[in-house]
Amino acid sequence: MDTTKKQVEKNIVELATFYVGDALCGMDILQIQEINKLMMMTKVPQAPEYVLGILNLRGQIVTVIDLGKKLGMGETEASPDARNVIVNSTGSSVGLLVKKIGDVVAVDMVNKEHSPANMSGIQGKYFTGVYKRDNSLIGILDIDKVLGIDE
Amino acid sequence: MNNQLHEKTDQMNMDTSIRVHVSLLNSLMTLAGELVLSRNQLLQTIASTDFHNVGVVGQRIDMITSELQEAIMLTRMQPIGNVFSKFPRVVRDLAKMLEKTVDLEIIGQDVELDKTIIEAISDPLTHLIRNSVDHGVELPSERQKIGKPASGRVVLRAFHEAGQVVIEISDDGKGLDGEALATSAVSKGLITAEHAQAMSEKEKINLIFLPGFSTAEKVTDVSGRGVGMDVVKTNLDKLGGHIDIISELNCGTTVSVKLPLTLAIIPCQIIMTGDERYAIPQVNLEELLRIPAHQIKERIERVGDAEVVRLRGNLLPLIRLADVIGIERTYFDPADNKAKADRRERISDRRGRVSPAFGSESQSIQTENVQGSGKSRSRSIADRRHSPMSALNIVVVSTGTMRYGLIVDQLLDSEEIVIKPLGIHLQGCKGYAGATIMGDGRIALILDVSNLARMAGLVALDGTDRASEVAMSAAETQRMSNERQSLLLFRSSEQEQFAVNLGLVDRIEKINRSKIEDLGGKRVMQYRGGSLPLICIHDAAMVQALADREDLLVIVFNYGSKAVGLLAVGPIDALELNVAIDNVTLKQTGIQGSAIINGHTTMLVDVPELIGSIFSEWIDDSQEFLLDGQETSFASSPEAR
Repeated sequence: MDTTKKQVEKNIVELATFYVGDALCGMDILQIQEINKLMMMTKVPQAPEYVLGILNLRGQIVTVIDLGKKLGMGETEASPDARNVIVNSTGSSVGLLVKKIGDVVAVDMVNKEHSPANMSGIQGKYFTGVYKRDNSLIGILDIDKVLGIDE
Repeated sequence: MNNQLHEKTDQMNMDTSIRVHVSLLNSLMTLAGELVLSRNQLLQTIASTDFHNVGVVGQRIDMITSELQEAIMLTRMQPIGNVFSKFPRVVRDLAKMLEKTVDLEIIGQDVELDKTIIEAISDPLTHLIRNSVDHGVELPSERQKIGKPASGRVVLRAFHEAGQVVIEISDDGKGLDGEALATSAVSKGLITAEHAQAMSEKEKINLIFLPGFSTAEKVTDVSGRGVGMDVVKTNLDKLGGHIDIISELNCGTTVSVKLPLTLAIIPCQIIMTGDERYAIPQVNLEELLRIPAHQIKERIERVGDAEVVRLRGNLLPLIRLADVIGIERTYFDPADNKAKADRRERISDRRGRVSPAFGSESQSIQTENVQGSGKSRSRSIADRRHSPMSALNIVVVSTGTMRYGLIVDQLLDSEEIVIKPLGIHLQGCKGYAGATIMGDGRIALILDVSNLARMAGLVALDGTDRASEVAMSAAETQRMSNERQSLLLFRSSEQEQFAVNLGLVDRIEKINRSKIEDLGGKRVMQYRGGSLPLICIHDAAMVQALADREDLLVIVFNYGSKAVGLLAVGPIDALELNVAIDNVTLKQTGIQGSAIINGHTTMLVDVPELIGSIFSEWIDDSQEFLLDGQETSFASSPEAR
């Protein structure tokens, strides 16, 4: 009995959610270093299309990626709601530009389902699964895949 | 195996701990204390809103920070002896195995280098030392045969030079054979035979750095396995170092490695293009070139579609930074301190006022001009062309083998910057070596000039060494074939310059035009009690007529028994020089050919032919004259004709 309870607790994950285009996406909050407003960026000519530029985050150089473009969901506008989600991956910091920040939700990973079969193509490979909430679905991002260099 | 393990633990120790002198540590402590005090002072000043003092405190903090930075850098500095100390053994073991006797001399163990560099050069240096012992130094018997002492000598020397550390590995062995290297490279298919032919000696020696190149005829287990010098070079390149080989056959080889003192902070030239700042490492910087706007048209030339600038007699290929990194071309408009889009195809084109974008502006300017001065198309004084700010800014950079000019919008300061690596997403951008944070918190990208050259397709530069060698030898043979000639330079019309062989000239007289008499269809003047027939070059040759001047010169030639005067105008000059005579371009009756003298195309007058064509009745006498003149005639003419 005790062990099963522990198991259940272990599967509770807090997801930070945000909107990429119109889709609600989420990722493990522990992977996020911080969330910033848009800052002045330096453009990098010849960079891949989804790279918006680099910025100086307290002496650290952070590459900013337009998550919408990277996931193939269109360009993210620089609106007042837009946020930079700074994640730490493979040693360097990367900023993900999202359209809007959502709530932090605690979810039980047991309720996670695989990405629907029709969610194929460029988007599909960046999601580890989909979490069902009562009124919405949250696509769970595989951050290592998102930040990996592909193509 | 044991040895390897030992080396590994050694390496680990090197990575994790470092020895620092206590005095240095003390000074660090003092500085840290000062920094805390200054911070308190700053907080106090801010709290008391005494803004006058903020500047003073800021200055203090600035000083302490730079001192602290220096001190921290010093803790990373390690004597190069740490690396050198293992080489005596490497050499001894190797020499024993190869049955050679080699003395290793180490100089400059105290030279200090950044810890990361010290660690990284250990392997390349070992390789170079092994190369020297294995390939460089010959067997004692061979050495004695060619009169060298039986034991070879390898010198390992470290010293400071121009803010860099130089490590030299020199041996007195057999040296590198450029020809053998070239042949080997051709047989391995690394270069083509034609390519090899067109290479300078130095380039041939540099072939040793090609990947997959090994010169050793037999592979030993020490070196000569086909991987080697290219790996050494790549490793040193990564450190920002340069490697250079000087070698003389049978006398020895010297490999010199130039390394920066530290990798963390490098001096850079900051430039601006398209509203962004970029940094160019000062190691790559040769000079900054500024071409004033009104000279751009003359100095920037085009070869095909490549733009070049003439820099002290050499052609320097130009590339535009904006083009290479694929951003919009801009120029810096001094009128409003902004970068504006540059629509010119060529640099030397004018920036037209009349363009769709500036339509209204150009209209108003034109009307202004019409009302103002009446000259509708004249350019106003405030024209960008006349502003010193609209000069063309070129950064001349070199990457060892290549040299080119990078056109940028603006040249800013030279600064010491801290290199920060770019994230993995930008690893594909080969044009940048990293990024740095500027004083205002914004980021500037650091340019990698060798990759920029590659991106711009700049490849044909390898041949420049060879080209200059060829040019030198060609000039040498020319000098040999051309005897020194004494020439008299003069003019007939104001524009055209002529020359005659000074040996033919008898006298030069200054006369007034009024002294010329026109008699019997011929021009004569009184000269030494007789009449001197006068001729002009344009009488026979198709050149411009004699200048209409009062003061004339008469160059008197002795034509057989007769004297003839050639009318000319000044300035005259006599000089002795070697010239290459072009016998084709300007050849005509009375003109033997042309040559470039003092920057002017000068026509060489063929005096016998000139006189002969005017006074055909004298032809009998001319025989004698020709014999006379043959000795002093233009040297290159007999074969060339």
